[in-house]
Amino acid sequence: MSFPDPIAVFRTEAAELLEQIEAGLLDLNVNLGDKDQVDAVFRGLHTLKGSGAMFGFEALAAFTHHCETAFDRVRKGEVPATQELVTAVLEAKDHMRALVETPSGDHGAMSEMLLANLRSAVEAAKNPGSAPALKVAPGQTLFKIRFSLPQNAMANGTNPLPLLDELRELGECKIVADRSAIPSLDLLAPTDLYVSWDVELLTTQPRSAIDDVFIFVMDEMQLDVSAIEAPAAKPPATDTAAAPNEVVSPAPAVPASRAASPAPAAPAPVDNKANKASENVRVPAEKLDELMDRVGELVIAQSRLSQLAGGSGDLQLRAVSEDVERLSGELRDTMMVLRMVPVAHLFSRFRRLVHDLAHETGKTIELVTEGETTEVDKSVIERLADPLVHLVRNSCDHGLETPEERLAAGKSEAGHISLSARQQAGEVIITIKDDGRGINKERVRAKAESSGLIQPNASLTDQEIYQLIFQPGFSTAQTVTNLSGRGVGMDVVKRTIDALRGTINVASHSGKGSEISLAIPLTLAIIDGLLVRVGSGRYVIPLSAVEECLELSIEEDMRSRGRSFISLRDSLVPFLRLRDLFRTGTKPDPFQKVVVISTGSERVGLVVDQIIGDHQTVIKAMSKLHHDVATFSGATILGDGDVALILDVGHLVAEGQQQEAHLRAAG
Amino acid sequence: MTASNVKEDYLCLPDNLTVRAITTVQQEVLRFIDKNQSIAIELSDDCQVDISFIQLMEAARIYAGTAGKRIALKKPASGPMLDVLQRSGFLEGLSAEDAKFWLHQGGIQ
Repeated sequence: MSFPDPIAVFRTEAAELLEQIEAGLLDLNVNLGDKDQVDAVFRGLHTLKGSGAMFGFEALAAFTHHCETAFDRVRKGEVPATQELVTAVLEAKDHMRALVETPSGDHGAMSEMLLANLRSAVEAAKNPGSAPALKVAPGQTLFKIRFSLPQNAMANGTNPLPLLDELRELGECKIVADRSAIPSLDLLAPTDLYVSWDVELLTTQPRSAIDDVFIFVMDEMQLDVSAIEAPAAKPPATDTAAAPNEVVSPAPAVPASRAASPAPAAPAPVDNKANKASENVRVPAEKLDELMDRVGELVIAQSRLSQLAGGSGDLQLRAVSEDVERLSGELRDTMMVLRMVPVAHLFSRFRRLVHDLAHETGKTIELVTEGETTEVDKSVIERLADPLVHLVRNSCDHGLETPEERLAAGKSEAGHISLSARQQAGEVIITIKDDGRGINKERVRAKAESSGLIQPNASLTDQEIYQLIFQPGFSTAQTVTNLSGRGVGMDVVKRTIDALRGTINVASHSGKGSEISLAIPLTLAIIDGLLVRVGSGRYVIPLSAVEECLELSIEEDMRSRGRSFISLRDSLVPFLRLRDLFRTGTKPDPFQKVVVISTGSERVGLVVDQIIGDHQTVIKAMSKLHHDVATFSGATILGDGDVALILDVGHLVAEGQQQEAHLRAAG
Repeated sequence: MTASNVKEDYLCLPDNLTVRAITTVQQEVLRFIDKNQSIAIELSDDCQVDISFIQLMEAARIYAGTAGKRIALKKPASGPMLDVLQRSGFLEGLSAEDAKFWLHQGGIQ
């Protein structure tokens, strides 16, 4: 038995603490007077510092100590919490993650820069009348200058004001006069200079530029200059954070709805599950993956055993086989539950992302999240992170208008983005909705025509036009920003969702906003399937998509030839003959079956020769050679060792609907 | 007798409040403080000011405070004096007392 590496355990705990600190800071940002959040952030920083020191992360402990001290002052009421202070600690928190992950890295310059920003933020919070804190950006240097001119400088004709003006011309400057040496009037030599100055200068100029300012008084004056240089790049933003490498079941729920910066919103009460964390067992995610593979193999072996037992007359063997089947089914269900994690874990990172994007774009953005308790297989969650980041960035950057544009359009100043999740028939539907300007259909069409993606005047539905935005290199953005607009990304979103066997649906209303829905299977590992035969081949239809099965007699089949519709409780449902689709070249069975499948409100029937029965399906990925085959989403191994292909329900429903549209158009 | 009941005596200073004339101004202010209990300094809108005068006013506040007397500006700093205060960094990190003296912020004196 192996014992866990204590450093790895600390890193995991530190990651959780940093998440808690970030959540506390974001909550505090919307309610700066929330003492509970101040306490929570302080406790998180305190624990991180203490644990870091215990496990030898000295740089982390030293750096965190300064943030803890700043929050201690807030806690004691010496300094009020301000948005600048929260932002400074948020940036410091990102750096703490780097200190946890690469403790031996060269973090000195970044630490100094962030601590300088933190000090400035504390100072500005303490003296609200003073100039805003100077923040060091990459390429800039923050010079701390202290100088005093010769006492007889004024008498000799040196006026300090032009010198101070020259310093201001070098960059962003904060000048504070030190009056502490001025004596009482009766002791004052009025032509002497008693004032000295403390200056913070944020500039791209070199140190020599400061010396040049004082070149004529340099010999007699006192000048102390220290420099804090910003490193080349800022710490990584939250949205690039690594996907979670561990899961804890059950994961603590997060508040149901939270607003991002800066509109105030009261955080919802914390779920009681959070208090039961000590009852959970921490399991490395790769162990769960291993276990899942083993369960998959067991299910295949059980399927083989069932087949053998079914063909034998041995009743005892059959009884054992049935027991094994039941147990492996239960094991599979338990395993699936273990792998399910709430999307709250995924959604929580978007609060920070939207906070940062609001800051970056100068927009006021409120983020509302719903359905955080919806659970999805952990591997799906991990792979959904990047596409969602891209979609949220797009909404913030291109979807939402500037506050001025919104007011001019009669909207509220703050733009709204909602991120919601819900389960629907074996799928999780994740929706990103904004109340921005909406997708400009005409511009998308014009761009697609000019790029040769579609023929001029091609007849396209709205959905088909919207789907063009997922073509590689497609962008209608008139300006390219740091966030989006280069046409790189939406195609990657599409590819990722396709790889997850998911679908993307886009809805948009000009001037009112857009809604992008991602429908993703709940799991990528094992599903309940309906095994069917078409010709001599066997296929699996995901059971979650099956609505009902009907019989299609030869007569009905003959009657419906050319129409491919069946009447189902007063509604016409299009159907696809899989025998024709797969070109089996076999004659139809006398009593074919129609399996009605659906995705949401859209239905289609699949005509098969035989329904064999339900089947626990361990999904195996298709080989790279078959990557482009859209009709199948994967394959599985049957009990007799044969391979059955798994039908891609989304694709087949879309094909059926397309067929229906063409037939309707043809009258 | 409370401070608010004290009759203020106005000292009207000359237009030149730079290092060239500051020695004379110092004597004038010193004499006035010695003679009066509550002093209000009156400046013209277009006076010439440099750091020597700002420094002198700070020294006068210390002197008056030590003597238990009251000193104030008749009007909040404006024009050239406000400009010098800003450029010289006197308004950075201003205490409530300083803000009251120079800018009449937080209640008229």
